[in-house]
Amino acid sequence: MHDELLEDIAQNNGLREVNTWVKLAAGLGCILLCLLSGSWVAPLFIGVVLSGTVLILARIKPRIYFEIFIAPFTFAFTSVVVIVLVTGGSGVFWSWDPFPWLSLSVTRESINEAVFVFSRVIGGMSAMIFIALTTPMTDLFVVMRQCRVPEPVVDLAMFIYRSIFLILDQLVLTYRAQVMRLGYGSFRESVRSFATLCGSVFITSWGAGEDLIRAMDARCYEGKFAIMGESNRPKALPVLALCSFFITTVLLLILTKDFTVI
Amino acid sequence: MSSIIFEAREIHYRYPHGMHAIRGISFHIRKGEKIALVGPNGAGKSTLMLMLNGMVRPDEGTLLFDNLPVSYDRASLRILRKRVGFVLQNPDRQIIAPTVYQDVAFGPTNLGYSGDEVRRVVKESLRYVGLEGFERRPPHQLSGGEKKRVAIAGVLAMDPDVLVFDEPTSGLDPSGSEDIIELLDELNLAGKTIIISTHDIELAYPWADRAILLVKGRILEEGIPEITFGNPENIRMASLSMPILLDLYLELGKRGFKLPERKPRTVLDALNLIDVAFQNLPCSRPGAITVHSVDRSNEECIMAWRREHPGGALGAMGTRAKQHAAEINIPLDFTYGVIDKCILKALLGEDSLIITTESMVGRVFERVREFGKENRREVPVSRS
Repeated sequence: MHDELLEDIAQNNGLREVNTWVKLAAGLGCILLCLLSGSWVAPLFIGVVLSGTVLILARIKPRIYFEIFIAPFTFAFTSVVVIVLVTGGSGVFWSWDPFPWLSLSVTRESINEAVFVFSRVIGGMSAMIFIALTTPMTDLFVVMRQCRVPEPVVDLAMFIYRSIFLILDQLVLTYRAQVMRLGYGSFRESVRSFATLCGSVFITSWGAGEDLIRAMDARCYEGKFAIMGESNRPKALPVLALCSFFITTVLLLILTKDFTVI
Repeated sequence: MSSIIFEAREIHYRYPHGMHAIRGISFHIRKGEKIALVGPNGAGKSTLMLMLNGMVRPDEGTLLFDNLPVSYDRASLRILRKRVGFVLQNPDRQIIAPTVYQDVAFGPTNLGYSGDEVRRVVKESLRYVGLEGFERRPPHQLSGGEKKRVAIAGVLAMDPDVLVFDEPTSGLDPSGSEDIIELLDELNLAGKTIIISTHDIELAYPWADRAILLVKGRILEEGIPEITFGNPENIRMASLSMPILLDLYLELGKRGFKLPERKPRTVLDALNLIDVAFQNLPCSRPGAITVHSVDRSNEECIMAWRREHPGGALGAMGTRAKQHAAEINIPLDFTYGVIDKCILKALLGEDSLIITTESMVGRVFERVREFGKENRREVPVSRS
């Protein structure tokens, strides 16, 4: 019904069967290492390794991966340009004072700072995207239960997760029905159609909620919600690979802590 | 005669907005029966079905389950809903959980089963509906037929005595519909009482033991499908159309053909009727039907049969049998209405093999013998 969502990609990725804790440890550990790094080398290394893992081992299509990366990359790039221009420093390569209160310059420190920030963003984003593309929400519910997140919270999260797709389907159906009848032909019509779309989806969601209660009642709901235990125990190879990756990154982090571009 | 599991006595129901949906209905359903509630849209089928597991309470009249009036306190409803499983028309409205496993485990968990027991019943239920290996899949990634199967597995996991299906084949393609109907037959053979609501008369006519024709909240006719659907006036009043085979039988009768009294319910019955009418004998020696159980024999038996019977027809009954055939790469000639199609082949003097599950083997023998007895034409049937 709807286009492929991040969740759908995660459900079918090549690392789906790897233990969830191992994947979460990889992602969160890398974010932490990016924050601890003192130079651009370790975060960039993390970015390259995780991107390679996502593309090769998780078998995510490069086009999809780069599309996901475009937004943070653009944001990071514009931020870096600003950092290069506004961060002062001693080794000045170029400077311009357009206003008495604004001075733009490119210095050795500003370039080093910009590259450092940029590589950290790339490293951190790679880790975030790694988690998003390899760990579906359904596996995270298991982790939430294992972490003793209160049951009502996890149950509610699971109901919300299930409902999102039902509502999304309804949204797409209604939107298509509107487009077919030229619902978004003019600005005025678009506003009117959008309002109708929201109203219709709200009413459908309400109905779906009532149906959900009926369906639960019909199956003797007593406040219990089964959760599937983690079916895959951590295997030696992924754990060893992760440990050696972390050791290499930490060593790199220590050895290159004073590295600068120029 | 089996004992009565459901009995309705003059039940009425009005919706809060005033619509009188059920207007004095009385009927009974016996244990192990296959019942079709047939009627046009708005006839009250769904409301009546919802009454059967206590989701809707009649305003007047009495509904008895297992000879006791249905009570509407929480504890009694819990017992009723455990024993009467309900499968909604739209599986998306029934599937609650984010994964197939969790959804099928929902009922047993709330019934207080232990963790191991829940895992066992979920595994069995998914195996029954042919969805092994789907445990971790989210429902939104499944096809319509698969979602329907998840909904059925969720109900089966509670081991009900009665299964109520609201429009079981709606929204499914013909092959998906046939699979579901076959599954209903399998469940019925396992001893479950099956009640379906439908406006698909072609589906209900050959399938049901008894059919109830509902129009505007009242029962218009009730009985074996030949009787229920045999009155053109009733069919017209219900805005339905007569089953094609029944129509053909009546039209042949009007043209003066001497026909047996038993009306045809399947293509096999109809062809047999035509053979009788025209005194046609397709072949002197019927072909043989061999039955292969996927639970008892290995694939070598199938291969050996194929070598011995080049050009023989192969059919598979039941989801597991079809999956087995696909796994060992065997092209199937028949995937639905398999027994009748193999009898038809046998009547043409051709041999055939039916791949099925152990629970369905008896059904094949029963149907072939029934046919032989009714038509005085013996068709040899044996196990591989």
